Amino acid sequence: MSIRKIVTLTEDVLTEGGREVSPTARVAVVAAIIKNPWAGQGFVEDLSAGIDGNASDIGALLAPRVLEALGSPAEAYGKAAIVGLNGEIEHGSGLIHTLAFGNHFRDAANATTLLPAVEKRGPAGVVFDIPLKHITDATIRSHHQSIEVRINDAPHADEIVIALAAAAQGRPQQRLAAFSTEAN
Amino acid sequence: MNDQRLGIRKIVYYSEEILLENGAAPAIPAVRATAAAVVTNPWLGGDASDDLGKEVVQLAPVLARKLTDVLAANLGGVDAIEAFGKAALVGIDGEIEHGAALIHTPFFGNLVRESFDGESIICFADDRAEAGTSLVVPLWHKNAAATRTHYQSITTRIGDAPRPGEIVVVLGASTGPRPHSRIGDRLTDPIVKADTLGELVS
Repeated sequence: MSIRKIVTLTEDVLTEGGREVSPTARVAVVAAIIKNPWAGQGFVEDLSAGIDGNASDIGALLAPRVLEALGSPAEAYGKAAIVGLNGEIEHGSGLIHTLAFGNHFRDAANATTLLPAVEKRGPAGVVFDIPLKHITDATIRSHHQSIEVRINDAPHADEIVIALAAAAQGRPQQRLAAFSTEAN
Repeated sequence: MNDQRLGIRKIVYYSEEILLENGAAPAIPAVRATAAAVVTNPWLGGDASDDLGKEVVQLAPVLARKLTDVLAANLGGVDAIEAFGKAALVGIDGEIEHGAALIHTPFFGNLVRESFDGESIICFADDRAEAGTSLVVPLWHKNAAATRTHYQSITTRIGDAPRPGEIVVVLGASTGPRPHSRIGDRLTDPIVKADTLGELVS
């Protein structure tokens, strides 16, 4: 695995809607910019070698870092794969949609649900939003949220940005009733 | 005074750790980072001749303290920080002068220098723009501004800030030089003048 850069982003919301958010709401993202393992190989039918050689290592790198950046237990989480213009979206999906990748985060966060994801192809500096949902119950509406990320010089055409996001709480000022209270 | 009364909406930290540049690991690894505070512009609706001093004294030192704390905590302490820079991005209902007021007085700069144990003038960028605009924050050495190895910059951007009535105040820092700095310095430069360059610029 060839990593060019590791980006860390935290957003602390102190007020929302003009009211104090207490405690401060934090969402953290850690992203690794890696060389696309299939760059320059044309259409590769079987992606398993590249997945086996990279997905677990990237998950093991990112999971502890995003939890450290969050600084408190994660209540919601999500992931991203942003593929440079020469690659296939399937390349990014291959790296993040495997248990070998996600279980590092799931185990470290004591989580059980599927990680919501964004997969996208774009130029360096493309803006992407990582969706997050609750770590043990994806129907908990208070924790549906997303965080916007942009890395000025990534991904290069032959790179992939792989990211994990974690939130220590639901949305600031969340006040929607639970799904279960809605009439059918 | 609490954050809400000061109008601080959000604090955003962003860092980049470069492992490879042009395929090679930097001889001296460095992390570059920004800490940004989104604040309500306290001078909205005022006149171009208004005295900005009172709010500067109340707000600028608090922002300096918060942003230096965030950077020091994330970059491994004050001693690890070698370069710094600052920026203000004013929402479109404000004056550029409002951003300048928050970053260009001793109430911000002196606190940054004191916190980071630095002596240099702090290089800067400022602009007025819509939310989500990128701004390049220049950095140079905190004690020796002419140290060419440490001339670098980092791009900052917050998707939903500044709103028209807000200001984003940014502090940048780096723990080292550019990844493969190799363009000499003032001691090794040859004498360069138009007439020594001859035909190249004639």
